[in-house]
Amino acid sequence: MNENAFENLKLELRRGCLVLAVLAQLRVEHYGYTLRKALADDGLEIEESTLYPLLRRLETQGLLTSEWREEEKRNKRFYRLSKDGKLVLKQLLDEWRTMGASLNRILRESKV
Amino acid sequence: MNLLNRYLQEVSKYLPKAGREDIVAELRANITPQLEDKEEELGRPLTDDEVVAMLQHHGNPMIVAGRYRPHNLGLAFGVQLIGPELFPFYRMILLLNLCITLVILAVVLPIVGKQVPGAITLGRFLTPLLMQFAAVTVIFIALEKGKDHVLNRWDPGKLPPLKTPPEDGPSARNIFNFVVAAVGTLWLALTPRWPYLLLGPGALYLPAIPVKLMAEWVWFYWAIMALLCLQLALQFTNLLRLLTRRAADVSDLILKCAGLAIGILLLFKFPNYVTSPYPDVAAWANLSFLICVIVGVAIGLFGIVRRLMRGFSMDATASAARRA
Repeated sequence: MNENAFENLKLELRRGCLVLAVLAQLRVEHYGYTLRKALADDGLEIEESTLYPLLRRLETQGLLTSEWREEEKRNKRFYRLSKDGKLVLKQLLDEWRTMGASLNRILRESKV
Repeated sequence: MNLLNRYLQEVSKYLPKAGREDIVAELRANITPQLEDKEEELGRPLTDDEVVAMLQHHGNPMIVAGRYRPHNLGLAFGVQLIGPELFPFYRMILLLNLCITLVILAVVLPIVGKQVPGAITLGRFLTPLLMQFAAVTVIFIALEKGKDHVLNRWDPGKLPPLKTPPEDGPSARNIFNFVVAAVGTLWLALTPRWPYLLLGPGALYLPAIPVKLMAEWVWFYWAIMALLCLQLALQFTNLLRLLTRRAADVSDLILKCAGLAIGILLLFKFPNYVTSPYPDVAAWANLSFLICVIVGVAIGLFGIVRRLMRGFSMDATASAARRA
C-alpha cells in the first residue's frame, strides 16, 4: 500500500481523536506543557506546535476557558473545559462510542 | 535562554499582531519548563546543542507562527497547492507585491501616457499584476512541495540576534547621527551659493553648460531643506529625550511620508527638470534626473515599510521580555 496514503489517512484519523483527547484531559485544569505530558503519559504523543495553537482554537470556539496565573514563580496560562465544552465532550464521546460499536460490528461481520 | 529568546523573537515576527504578545508569553511559559525538566533529568545545565535540538523539534518559527493564524485557509485547485501553514505568508507577500506594483503603475503610467498618447491599455495595466500573481504563486507552490526539505532544515543556532530598541538620549551613536545629519543639511544649504561644494572644479564650467533648471526647482529645493531641518530637529529632541519613543516614531514616519510625497510630486514634473537649446542634452539630463528621483522614491518607500515593520516587531519583543 502507498505509504503516503496511509500517512495521510492516519493524520485524518488522529486529528479528530486529538481534539477529543484534549477536551477529555482538560476536565482537569492544565497548562500547555503539563497537558502535553499528561497526554503523552496516556500514550498520546502530540507535537507542541500542534497542541498549543489547538488550545487557542478550542478556546475561541468557547469549549475551553483559560486564565493566566502564577505557579512556581512563573506566569502560566491554565486551560480547563468550559460549560459548553463539557456538553460538547459528552456529545462527542457518545458519537465516538456509537462509531466504535458500529466499527466493531462491521469488523466482526467481515472477520478482519 | 538567549537561544530561546531569539527563537521567540523569530516566531513573533510571523505572528498576527492581535494576540502576538500573549502567544509569545504562552510559548515561553510552555517551553521553559520543558527545558528545565530536561536539565533536571540530566542533572546538569543544557548545552547549546541540546537547546538547539529541542527548539528544532519544536518547529520552524514560520510554521509554528502560521499555526496560530485564525483562519486555516489554503489554495487548492483540485489538490491542495498551498497549505494553511504557508498560506498567510503567501497572501501577505502577494498583497505586498501587488500594492507596490500598483503604486509604481499609478506613478509611471500617467507619465508614459503623457509622452505617448494611447500607450496605456487595459492589457498593459493588467499584465504586470498577473505576472506578479503568477510568479508569487508558483514560488509558494514550489515551497509547499519542498516544505519538509526546506523549512524543516533550519538551524536555531543561526537565528538573528536579539533586537534591542534604539537607545534614546545622548548616546555616542545618536550624537554621531546628529552631527552627520547637521553637516549634510548645512552642505546642501550652502551648495546653491557655492556650487563648488557639489561639483568641485567642475563648478567653474557651470555658466557654460547649456542647460537650465526648471523654475519649480526652487520650491522643491526649499521643501527638501525644510524636511531636512525638521529631521534634524527631531534628532535633537531624541538626544535630549524631549519626546516619548512612540511620538518620535510617529514623527519620523510623518517626515518619511512627506519625503516620499515630494519625490512623487517630482516624478510628475518629468520631462521638465531641465531645458536646453539642444534636445538631446535635455533628454539625457531629464532621464538622469528621472532615474535619480525613482531611486529616491524607492528608497523612501522602503524606509517607510521598514519603519512600520520595525515598530511592530519591537513591540512584541519588548512585551515578551516584560512577561519573562
